[in-house]
Amino acid sequence: MFKAKRRTVAVVAAVAVVLLAGALAVTLTTGSGAQAGVSYLNGNPAQRVYAAGDRPVAPDFTGTSLTGAPIKLASYQGKIVVLNFWGSWCPPCRAEAPTLAVLSEQYAAKGVDFIGDDVADTSASALAFTRSVGISYPSVNDPGYLIVQDFSQVVPVNDTPTTIVIDRTGHIAGMVLGTVSYATMVTLLKDAAVTQ
Amino acid sequence: MPVNLGLAQASSDFLIAALLIYSLAVLAFAGDYAFGRPRRAVKAVAHAAEPAAALATVGANTAAVAGAAPGTVAGGPVPPAAPAAPGTGTGPGAGGTGLPARPTGALRATWEAGPWVRAAVALSVIGMLAHVAAVTTRGFAVHRAPWGNMYEFVTALTCVAAIFFCYIVVRYRAWALGVFVMGAVVIALGLAETVIYTPAGPLVPALQSYWLSIHVTAMTLSTGIFFVAAVLGIMYLVAEWYRKRVAAGKAEPGNGLLERIPSAAQLDKLTYRTVIFGFPIWTFGVIAGAIWADQAWGRYWGWDPVETWAFITWVIYAAYLHARATAGWRGARAHYIQLLGFASLAFNILVVQVFITGMHSYAGVG
Amino acid sequence: MTDVRSSRSTSAPQQETADGTGEATGPFGPNEMDVTESGGGGTSVPPDTSAGWLRWGWRQLTSMRTALILLFLLALGAIPGSILPQQGTDPASVQQYYASHPSLAPWLNRLGLFNVFATPWFAAIYLLLFASLIGCVVPRTFRLVGAARTPPPRAPRNLKRLPHSTTYDSALPPAAAAESAAALLGAHRFRLRRPAADDSGHWVSAEKGYVREVGNLLFHLSLVGILISIALGGLFGYKADKLLVQGTSFGDTVSALDEFHPGRLATASDLAPFRMTLDNFSASYVTSGQNEGEPSSFKASVTYSDTPGGPARQGVIEVNHPLSVDSVKVYLIGHGYAPVFKVTGPGGKVAYEQATPFIPASTGTLLSDGVVKAPNANLGFMGVFVPTAIDNGGTLESIFPAADNPVVSLDAYSGNLGMNSGVSQSVYQLDSTGMTKIGGSPHVMLPGQTWTLPGGKGSITFVGVQQWVSLAITYDPGQVPALVCGILALCGLLLSFFVRRRRVFVRAVPAASGAGSVVTIGGLTRTDASGGFEEEFAELAFEIASAGTSVTASPGDAAPGAASPGAAETAAVAAGDDKPEPNNQSETGA
Repeated sequence: MFKAKRRTVAVVAAVAVVLLAGALAVTLTTGSGAQAGVSYLNGNPAQRVYAAGDRPVAPDFTGTSLTGAPIKLASYQGKIVVLNFWGSWCPPCRAEAPTLAVLSEQYAAKGVDFIGDDVADTSASALAFTRSVGISYPSVNDPGYLIVQDFSQVVPVNDTPTTIVIDRTGHIAGMVLGTVSYATMVTLLKDAAVTQ
Repeated sequence: MPVNLGLAQASSDFLIAALLIYSLAVLAFAGDYAFGRPRRAVKAVAHAAEPAAALATVGANTAAVAGAAPGTVAGGPVPPAAPAAPGTGTGPGAGGTGLPARPTGALRATWEAGPWVRAAVALSVIGMLAHVAAVTTRGFAVHRAPWGNMYEFVTALTCVAAIFFCYIVVRYRAWALGVFVMGAVVIALGLAETVIYTPAGPLVPALQSYWLSIHVTAMTLSTGIFFVAAVLGIMYLVAEWYRKRVAAGKAEPGNGLLERIPSAAQLDKLTYRTVIFGFPIWTFGVIAGAIWADQAWGRYWGWDPVETWAFITWVIYAAYLHARATAGWRGARAHYIQLLGFASLAFNILVVQVFITGMHSYAGVG
Repeated sequence: MTDVRSSRSTSAPQQETADGTGEATGPFGPNEMDVTESGGGGTSVPPDTSAGWLRWGWRQLTSMRTALILLFLLALGAIPGSILPQQGTDPASVQQYYASHPSLAPWLNRLGLFNVFATPWFAAIYLLLFASLIGCVVPRTFRLVGAARTPPPRAPRNLKRLPHSTTYDSALPPAAAAESAAALLGAHRFRLRRPAADDSGHWVSAEKGYVREVGNLLFHLSLVGILISIALGGLFGYKADKLLVQGTSFGDTVSALDEFHPGRLATASDLAPFRMTLDNFSASYVTSGQNEGEPSSFKASVTYSDTPGGPARQGVIEVNHPLSVDSVKVYLIGHGYAPVFKVTGPGGKVAYEQATPFIPASTGTLLSDGVVKAPNANLGFMGVFVPTAIDNGGTLESIFPAADNPVVSLDAYSGNLGMNSGVSQSVYQLDSTGMTKIGGSPHVMLPGQTWTLPGGKGSITFVGVQQWVSLAITYDPGQVPALVCGILALCGLLLSFFVRRRRVFVRAVPAASGAGSVVTIGGLTRTDASGGFEEEFAELAFEIASAGTSVTASPGDAAPGAASPGAAETAAVAAGDDKPEPNNQSETGA
């Protein structure tokens, strides 16, 4: 009888270990792992491209621009949209701003619109900055990161600056976590033009 | 709300009164030692039967834990026919003389122990009531639970120790312990009054929570009980040392004072029962503290110095409980552990809370 | 002699002796006070096979002695964690320690003494302790289940050898006496065992108190539960901080938070997606008396919604009263002032206009430091905010934490703030290298005043004062499980301390006189746990005896029939005459 007990203990222990290991394995591999359909440019996980069938829907937003005009993302259907999260207090955002200014000029005729999402900022400081670097595209005033929060439900938005490329159907085609480079943006815009 | 100075003064007065009455009680307990009824009826038989003492004391009589003195297997401690003591054959009622009787009431036993014991117990109880009055009036004076700083904490825990002692002195007929336990209470209270006295005042807002009543009350209660256990532990070590000397023939069995305290075995049991009374309350206090910490500081355990030392104290008392069940660790070794636990508790209150910065630093001293 | 043990299988001795307290007393009392610790622990014969070594090692690990040593090590190991500054809670003090003990500190660091509770050696101690615990508790659970299914042992022949025993004469025949005893014990919810049909004796065995061991096991298993709960919290929980200015709102997303500390397996996507607006913050302070200036209450009124589109709700966050939002808790941990500034550049164009959080340097008076950075005007300012300002012989001091007389004092800098290079900067710090100080000594401003900077560089206006709060957002999935396990542990502890496992045996033999029987009652406890078995035994004996004699009174019995306390005392006095010290109450007290 005692031997039987020992065996039972061993069996129970083994089952417990297996279950525990399994649970651990499952937790570690899901969640923060790479999702299906995402590829990285140049192997850099900060530069993400979403394949044509796997693009998450970009959450719509409505807001007021720095100059007081209303902005609604849905009104940009049919255009490619570059959404840039930035703030005039954020040095990396300030550093990449000229690049964005140039790109916005170059691609305006190609059906690409740029929108800024100005976070933790006031219109005064933000406008002073955009005027100084020659950015003419509008930015929505989002001091509480509310639009960022909506986007962070579907794609990883960890910090400012973050730039998201939305295709003509309103799906997220690519994104850059951190400052953008000219070449990266060109590639992303090309990919965004590829539709389903 | 401002402090009620009249009640604060009343609290101080009650405390001084308690101190005086306790001191008289200690004198009365000592008087019982010196002049009270003789206790060791059959000394020769006692020491011859020493090996059987373990048997006897395991539960030889119905009356008391601290009941059977070493070796008094013969003399039934409770005159009404107690259930027979085992083995040694001299127990009354071994032949089946009549019904087993109900145990004697504790109060009656106390009364019949003699005038010194009566006076001492009465003084202890009166002093304890004055002490309770002191703590209560302090609470009313400051409109909150009266354990918000070091001084209040010490007065409250000594009050708990006194209440607990009054209970065991009657329930377990532990009059022989009176000198030591009440003596320790007097010393602690005296030191509190002179060294760390803090006038009545309001609490810092961080402490304004009903969890104060729950957490600090539990810690106060358990500290008071562990205080008694520590005194008993020291007494055990003395009794055990004396027993060894007698067994080795180095000491005369007729030594007055040491003959009067209960045997090492009984003290061991009484200490154990005191600790198991205090340990769950300490555990509860730690849990309540964790709940309060979560409400106030955002996490239920953060290894704050006071939290850490409460944990260390808990672990040491747990070690004591395990030691009692481990070969080679019973007896004196276990008591060293228990005393170490109280030392860590005292260190926590007196040193860690005052000198080591952490979130608990509002002992109100200095 | 051995009829008790032989009646059961070989598991009986295990059960008798290895109940963990080591002090198992079999039915024959202290003769069996065999100190076999749980798990065996025998170390006498060294093993010679690897399996033997493993078994030996396992027995050592799960022995009481090892548990004791590990407990000591646990307590010892925690000591440096409370004496030395710890990296996790107070990194500034650790730095200070390094500064004041330059040669000692690196060695302490190598031993992990600045982060004791996260070191591998501390983890080793408690993991070994828990392994020892589990290895001891699991087999005992099986044993308890086994014991619960086996009936109590047969009544020993000689009950007088038990620690508690008593004998009385009963008028009933042996069978009836045993039956009435059984009925009484059954009524007290003892588990009974009666003799088999072929047994000639009349006895009852009764046992009670299995719950004690249940409590013991519950306590120890709950400790395991607590450990798992702590691990859960550490893995899947997170802590975050957010500074929020009055009137502004934020969404709980990682880029909005000032600090985010996830557990090992937690990520930014685990953040609860709530939104919160700080509608109002009020702090009140004691205005008079010995506690003047001390805070008396802090209250933050917020509007929040659990999800981005969800309904808006009102809430209040105070010290000691966090707000539960979704699955997280939001705590108020600090507050301060955010003076509002407007900065214009050389052309008079507004380059900056917002509330600027200043950080308190002194918690008593809330004198605060801060910077204003207006990169678009190439201007930077650094200075102090004084809530209730007085001029103390030329120096500006704050005498009260409320903003009764707010004043700012600023130094101005002109030049390149270094914000276009792309390198991140703290918003609370100004790097004035590469800038020139303008305007001379610090300029003091009252609310509404403007300071026009020399050289046409621009101006700064002190518009007014707002307040900010510092919120801590925490998520700990192990919190509630830990509490539940803690409460279960406490219940288990109480059960294991205050429930006695005890056995009572009753044996009736025919009386020598022929009529009636002589009944012997014996009892013992497994351990010397809490006191009181003496009383319980005496009560039970009294009840059994009274029940047994209630039928007829027989001559020669000292206490007939009703067995009142008076009768007992009569018997007592009669018996007491024999004693050398009849009234020697002091026996009990000594």
